[in-house]
Parts: sequence; structure tokens; C-alpha cells
Amino acid sequence: MSTVAVESNKKIWGGGQSPFNLSYGKIMMWYFLMSDAFTFGAFLISYGTTRFFSAIWPDANSVFRSFPYCGEMNLPLMFVSLMTFILILSSVTMVLAVHAGHCRDKKGVIKWMVWTIIGGIAFLSCQAWEWMHLYAEDAWWGSFRNGAGAEALPHFFKHDVDPTLFASGGADAAHKFFNFFFTITGFHGAHVASGVVINIIILLNTINGTYEKRGHYEMVEKVGLYWHFVDLVWVFVFTCFYLL
Amino acid sequence: MSEFSHYEADQSALYSGGHHQDASSVESKGKVKKIWMVTGILTIVTIVEVGLGLYGHSVGMPKSMINTFFILLTLFKAGYIVKVFMHLGDEFKNMILTILIPLTLFIWFIIAFLMDGSFWLWINHYFGIR
Repeated sequence: MSTVAVESNKKIWGGGQSPFNLSYGKIMMWYFLMSDAFTFGAFLISYGTTRFFSAIWPDANSVFRSFPYCGEMNLPLMFVSLMTFILILSSVTMVLAVHAGHCRDKKGVIKWMVWTIIGGIAFLSCQAWEWMHLYAEDAWWGSFRNGAGAEALPHFFKHDVDPTLFASGGADAAHKFFNFFFTITGFHGAHVASGVVINIIILLNTINGTYEKRGHYEMVEKVGLYWHFVDLVWVFVFTCFYLL
Repeated sequence: MSEFSHYEADQSALYSGGHHQDASSVESKGKVKKIWMVTGILTIVTIVEVGLGLYGHSVGMPKSMINTFFILLTLFKAGYIVKVFMHLGDEFKNMILTILIPLTLFIWFIIAFLMDGSFWLWINHYFGIR
């Protein structure tokens, strides 16, 4: 190692400045998000393990085939694609709010934060509709609300499913599928809901001029990190639950 | 003295001063353009994923091949979100590594747990449990 590198290293870690050129709050937000990634990862990996353990599994194209106001039309994955698009767009408006903060453009921050909050509420509304729709089909935590066995559940599976495997393991697989579905999308939805609340608080602070007085909009960056993480998790939930 | 008193009170004043810029500057406009470009990429990738999910089967693509595409496209999307939207690409290399190195544990988690799941399925078949 050259002496120059050693010297600059000493200087970086010598105290009096952040070695990562980041404030404490932002570094800790990153480490919190990393730990949260492990929580979500544990959920999704246990879903994967259970699925690998099961000889039969519900088909996402059959479970998620409905769209609001379209009745019995077969529209697989269309609604969840819309939800994914809404969340990506709200992530975009958030990054534009962060950018406006860098420019100390208070009006810009307010405008893009409002759009982000609207996007978050729209996503939560879509999720509420999807939950209500599946609840109306008697799916819930535990077992089916009407106590349905495999014979009543073929519409959640592929048409060409093995009848012997379906009769012996269909109900069990459907129970496990919906337990994971409600738990994981519920945990993600709780993150979105808390993100919306935090975004509203930051919006009010911005309107009150708190960050203008402080001289920087770093709080917008920090909630921005959280909000993008929520979008990031959804990208993985979307793949694991609806695509694979 | 003034710098250190600042350091102990509101650190972020020291570390967020670096990126101040003018909203109407060329640099700022370039950044906004890049954000919209990434939005387009993420949207197109999502549409491709849904298209693959719906029509990949009908043209008889093997499931393992479709799944490989899904996982690669997902990691591609995740990379763009973290690098551009979360600005991790702009941080110090050491900072990036303290985030990414612990996450490599996922490689072991995924392989170990999925292998465990398929082993139990196999052994249940072997002993005729289901």
C-alpha cells in the first residue's frame, strides 16, 4: 500500500468528520433498511421453502385474475401490474421531491411530496380492494372462512393440475399460500401506510418552513430512502408472489 | 471551533451542503431527465415481465427459463432503484460495501432453505407420506 493511501486513510478516519461523508441519521436509515431487508427476505424465503416442500401450489394467474368493475372477466395479473406501476410512479415523484430539496426549491418539494402521498394512498386502496376481493372468495388467514376443502378450490389452481395430488394436498397448499399472501402483503402494506404518515409529517414540516430555516432538506432524503425501500420490496414481492 | 460545534449539533448541515444546486441549471435538468429515463426503463421491464408471465407459457417456454428471466429482470430493476433513486451509486465505496456485503448472506439463505424444502418433499415421496 502506498504511503499516500495510508495518510488519506488516517485523515478520513481521524475524527472530526464523517468517514462516509454522510450524517448519522442517513447512515442509520441505511442500516435500518438493511435489517428490514432481512425481515422481508426471511418472509419471502420461508414462502419459497414452503412452496418447494409442496407437491402442488396455487397458480398466481388463476388467483389474481380480477379487476375492479370487470366482474367475471379473466384478466390475470392486470390489477397487480397497475399497483406496481402506481408504486413505481410514487417512487419517481419522491426522487423528484428529493431533487427539489437539493435545489432548496420549497414549492417543488411540496408539489412532489403531495403526489407521492397520493400515490401511496392509491396503492393502499388497490391493496384494500384486492384483500376484500379475496376475502369475498372466503380466503383468509388460517383456513377458508366457509371451511372449504380441496373440492371447492379448483379455481385457484391450473386447469391441468394432477387430480390425485390436488385431492390430497390442494386445500393445504391453498391455506399456506393465503397465509403467506396476507402476512407478506400485510407487512408490506403496513410499511406503505407508515410511509404515508411519515411523508405527511415531512410535508407539513416543509410547508411550515422548518427545512428552509434549517438550511437543508435532508429529512426529505431520509424519508425518501424509506419510501424507495418500500417500492424495492414490492418489486421482490411482485416477482415471488405473482410471477414465479 | 464553529465547525465542531456544528458537528455535535446538526451534522447533516455539514454533509448535505455538498449537493446544493440551482433548479434551472443544466446539471439539475440532466438529473431530472435521468430520473424520467429510469422511470421508463422500470415501466418497460415490468411490462415485459407481465407479458412473459402471460404468454411465455402459451408459446411453450420451459418454466425454468421463464423464472430465470424473471429473477434477472427483478435484480435489474432493484439495481436501478437502489443506484439511481436511492443515490447509493453516489456514496463512498466503503459505505456501499457496508450495505452490500451483509446482503450477500442472502445467497446462502436462498440456496440452503430452498434445498431444504425440496429435500423434504423428496423424502416425503420416498416414504410415501404424501
